[in-house]
Amino acid sequence: MLLLLQYTLIFTSVLVLVALGGCISEHSGVINLGLEGIMVMGALGGALMMRAFGTESALLMVLAVILSAVVFGMAYSALLGVACINFKADQTLVGTALNLLGTAAATVLVKAINTASNPDNHSSEIEYVRARKMFIVNINGFEFNWFMLIAVLAVIGVAIMLYKTRFGLRLMACGEHPQAADSVGINVYKMRWAGVLLSGALGGLGGICYILAGVSLWKFENGVAGFGFLALAVMIFGQWNPVRISLAALLFGLFRALSNTYVGIPFLVSLNLPSNVYNMMPYIVSLVVLAFTSKTSRAPKAEGIPYDKSTR
Amino acid sequence: MKKLLKNSGVQAFIASIICIILGLLIGYIVLLFINPEGATESILNVIKNFFTFNRPKTQLKNFGNTLAKTMPLLMCSLSILFAYKVGLFNIGTAGQYVAGACASLYAALAWGWGWLPCMLFAIVAGALLGAIVGFLKAYCNVNEVISGIMLNWIALYLTNTLLSSVKEVASPYTLTLKNENPSALLPKAGLNELFNNDYITIAVPMALIIAIAVHILLTCTKLGYELKATGSNKNAAKYAGMAENRNIILTLAIAGGLAGLGAAMIFQSGYFRWECTQSSVPGMGFNGIAAAFLGGLNPIGSIFASFFIQHITDGGQYVNTNFYSSQISDLISSVIIYLCGFVLFIKLTMTKMVSRREEKAAQKQKTQGQKTQEQKTQEGGDK
Amino acid sequence: MEEYAIEMLHITKRFPGIIANDDITLQLRKGEIHALLGENGAGKSTLMSVLFGLYQPEEGIIKKDGKAVKVNNPNDANALGIGMVHQHFKLVECFTVLDNIIMGVEPTHLGFLQKGEARQKVKMLSEKYGLYVDPDARIEDITVGMQQRTEILKMLYRDNEILIFDEPTAVLTPQEISELMQIMKNLAAEGKSILFISHKLNEIMEVADRCSVLRKGKYIGTVNTADTTIEELSAMMVGRNVNFHVEKKPSVPGDVILDIEHMTVASKVHKNNAVKDVSLKVRAGEIVCIAGIDGNGQSEFVYGLSGLEPLVSGKITLDGKDITKTSIRQKSLLGMSHIPEDRHKHGLVLDYTLEDNMILQTYFKPEFTNKAGFLRRKNIREYANRLIEQYDVRSGQGPITITRSMSGGNQQKAIIAREIDKQPDLLIAVQPTRGLDVGAIEYIHKQLVAQRDAGKAVLLVSLELDEVMDVPDRILVMYEGEIVGELDPKTTTQEELGLYMAGAKRMEVTA
Repeated sequence: MLLLLQYTLIFTSVLVLVALGGCISEHSGVINLGLEGIMVMGALGGALMMRAFGTESALLMVLAVILSAVVFGMAYSALLGVACINFKADQTLVGTALNLLGTAAATVLVKAINTASNPDNHSSEIEYVRARKMFIVNINGFEFNWFMLIAVLAVIGVAIMLYKTRFGLRLMACGEHPQAADSVGINVYKMRWAGVLLSGALGGLGGICYILAGVSLWKFENGVAGFGFLALAVMIFGQWNPVRISLAALLFGLFRALSNTYVGIPFLVSLNLPSNVYNMMPYIVSLVVLAFTSKTSRAPKAEGIPYDKSTR
Repeated sequence: MKKLLKNSGVQAFIASIICIILGLLIGYIVLLFINPEGATESILNVIKNFFTFNRPKTQLKNFGNTLAKTMPLLMCSLSILFAYKVGLFNIGTAGQYVAGACASLYAALAWGWGWLPCMLFAIVAGALLGAIVGFLKAYCNVNEVISGIMLNWIALYLTNTLLSSVKEVASPYTLTLKNENPSALLPKAGLNELFNNDYITIAVPMALIIAIAVHILLTCTKLGYELKATGSNKNAAKYAGMAENRNIILTLAIAGGLAGLGAAMIFQSGYFRWECTQSSVPGMGFNGIAAAFLGGLNPIGSIFASFFIQHITDGGQYVNTNFYSSQISDLISSVIIYLCGFVLFIKLTMTKMVSRREEKAAQKQKTQGQKTQEQKTQEGGDK
Repeated sequence: MEEYAIEMLHITKRFPGIIANDDITLQLRKGEIHALLGENGAGKSTLMSVLFGLYQPEEGIIKKDGKAVKVNNPNDANALGIGMVHQHFKLVECFTVLDNIIMGVEPTHLGFLQKGEARQKVKMLSEKYGLYVDPDARIEDITVGMQQRTEILKMLYRDNEILIFDEPTAVLTPQEISELMQIMKNLAAEGKSILFISHKLNEIMEVADRCSVLRKGKYIGTVNTADTTIEELSAMMVGRNVNFHVEKKPSVPGDVILDIEHMTVASKVHKNNAVKDVSLKVRAGEIVCIAGIDGNGQSEFVYGLSGLEPLVSGKITLDGKDITKTSIRQKSLLGMSHIPEDRHKHGLVLDYTLEDNMILQTYFKPEFTNKAGFLRRKNIREYANRLIEQYDVRSGQGPITITRSMSGGNQQKAIIAREIDKQPDLLIAVQPTRGLDVGAIEYIHKQLVAQRDAGKAVLLVSLELDEVMDVPDRILVMYEGEIVGELDPKTTTQEELGLYMAGAKRMEVTA
């Protein structure tokens, strides 16, 4: 049971971080379907840092890995920004391209690096056993991961940012009614860029958190298994509100955790279901939840529509 | 020249060529970064694909392999472009393809069906999955991209579970059709001899005919008129008495059927077997996005674009694996999808260039045509 | 030398193929209300876009207090103290009034919003100018009139000295209009300079000190309203004397074509029903007009009637047949034509060609689709060409013009051609002249009367008082989803109509 709690919390953290990223981007008016690819890039940035940085200090390591994941995620999300904000490209198409590109580029890159260090190793895996330990504090068998705290802070931070600051007010105005924002001198392009870059940062964080969740080795060919899209489902379920998002993420996190831990729960083992059932669970749950919650949507009104100064 | 540049078909073609060139260039730069030594040779191999072999017979055989895999890709790209014309982004193509594979292989191996019923079953399975996405979109307002992705994963795990019952004991792969149930293999009609390749079946002419049929359906029929109207303006379609919800479901069902059929085309040629421990959705459906957009969202364009994408995907095998990985082709095709996002911008730029020139020419004539100019001003400047 | 708050001198702005502003001069005196008059397409919006720095003019200069200034973007205009109430409000619906007012000039401490002092200032301004509105209400919950006050407060909060009102009365009740006029006078008395953009001559005569007129991109002249007449202004605006009155013979009503009994339609925006228990009849050979302020259930009434939204309850009969539950397609086949309120949303598929739009309601008929399901392109082309000629629809490439590239007036003509050519028994026309110039309006009114004279039933829904008074044979006033009055356009006055529209007066109607 403790294990289930631990996995639930860590997967919830991933979903919270990524869903908040999606939420900020959509509040600025850009639908970020490329979160999946951004997660891969963030994971790659973090994993490379864990490999490269030989420090003994857990604090330094944690900070360095976070920084690296954030930078990778932001840099990668800039591709979305350029295409969708400046060139008014189809946001769905570009998001999808980023997802595919993320996995392909990470695979090519990791294989190239591994090849360089060891001629016989052609895999797309990165190992980070030692570094992973630095993220974890063992409390009576419960593995507390620093990302759990970061996720909580992110919820509070994003909620305050959106509802209490000038930046948040302006950001949301750009997603609701960009013409109105423009008419009072707010630079819609800049705010949308800010939204996209922040979502890149949070998506990158979510990515590194995801690969640290249960394992010490990551095969980049596999990407992040639709987690970016689960996060978007969480965001919709959470109605674009940070606090509700965190509650929605708990539900989804629980179902995701089951597939990792059901072997330890006697009741579930006695059901004798194939493991694929548990693998499918989060996706089925999200479909069902979306079917019931999408009808009354509080989505930002102008999301997905490229802003064109000349059509005011 | 000017007229040519204004033609949207020509613009689409030029834009696609620009995307391809930039995509390959970026791939080349990535290779250069990884290792400058073999980069040129490797990128050339990607482009050459089967031409890397010296013997014409081997070339032909490998060309056949690429051709065989182009057909499911073509079906996936048709699936995507068909839905896109109706305003839907069918990212669920990947899962519908998986469902098709599951249905055709299961029917063939577990029930011993012949090739045609297997193929029809695959179409039904794909269509069913598409219809679910359509139903959720039409009646529950669920974004088709998100539900599509969820169903991709569900389809993958379901397929893994189901096909495990017809897999080889020693490997994760499904049983070979050739040994278990040759009647499920698609007829070859002599095409295999023409190409010196046993995987070339009637799927090739079939897919080409379907591409043309989709084109005709979209441009010349009542159904195409209705579906495109729904895609372009849902409200106007409703106002005109079209059943928009039915149209959304129908569209995605057709799109799903196309993807399912694509899977049957390749799995029933015996080229692929399903790997029951697969942990990611096969890339065929996603590459279909690249092919659909690269083909300028035109079914005939899709034929060539699908071949190109499959060509470089296969070409990826011939990079120097001492330095690089074959996923360089995936990288190139995803870069191409990304660049396709700029197609609208490229087209606009071309149109602007032409009209700017025209305007300059018009300015020259201005001294003569002062009067016509005045008439034009009467149209007013308000928007 | 006179003191001008803002001057736009000899402004010329060209677009490819069009001179939108041709040597236009506009001088706004300090503390005056100055009207800018012109039809749609006269160049008013372009001129304002130049003033706000959205366009750079090829020629001409802008002066503030006699000194030449450069306006590169709306922020520059704001810095010069110029503010504008747009025709379509620029308000974020899910924000509060206060958030909308402070947006862009938020008082902050370390990036955190400090709303307390802002609220004080807004309250102070509200009282000073009589602009009552709750600063903590959400925009989506308040009336259109209050939303407009929010827009005015937005300008005042920024201490703007030059206030521009773009067609501000289009969305208001007559009573709200007179309140707005009073507010504008108060503002001018406090030293603000006001530019009032309009094409409503009565309002200009009432409130403005001077009036500048534009026509087809050219500057026609500036007159003192005290020294001119409505007729003179209108002649300046359209370049000829316009007959505002629609010529028509008395109507000869025949059988009841449309009979609506106790129709109720739910609202999409709030919990109450948008249309409540409405009953009415339209006979052959008469034009019945549903009048009312925007948002009183007229749109939902038409949606319910045409089948775009489901009914909560009620019964509709067309030509004696019960069509309450019939599909949109069947209604159309049974003789109902519908010129929709929003031609871009419902009326046209903008990316389709003109000919494809011409068959939007009839594409499935045997003339246009053969038995195998293929479109009969040749017939479609011929049909479209006939309509184009008959109804004088102008476009660049005839039937194969992409509809999006056509002018609004010609798009509307295409819809009217399509709907009238179906030979309907009942023609529903919802705001058929919205956003069109005088020539097109005249044309459409004539078509409506011609349909009436041909023995059709015409149901007109209009927000324009002039249209309501001139075109129909009977007026039904809708207020908050109910029919509150039936008036005879020959005997009623605009004032009386206004009282019904505002809900101040009502009668039992059994139409």
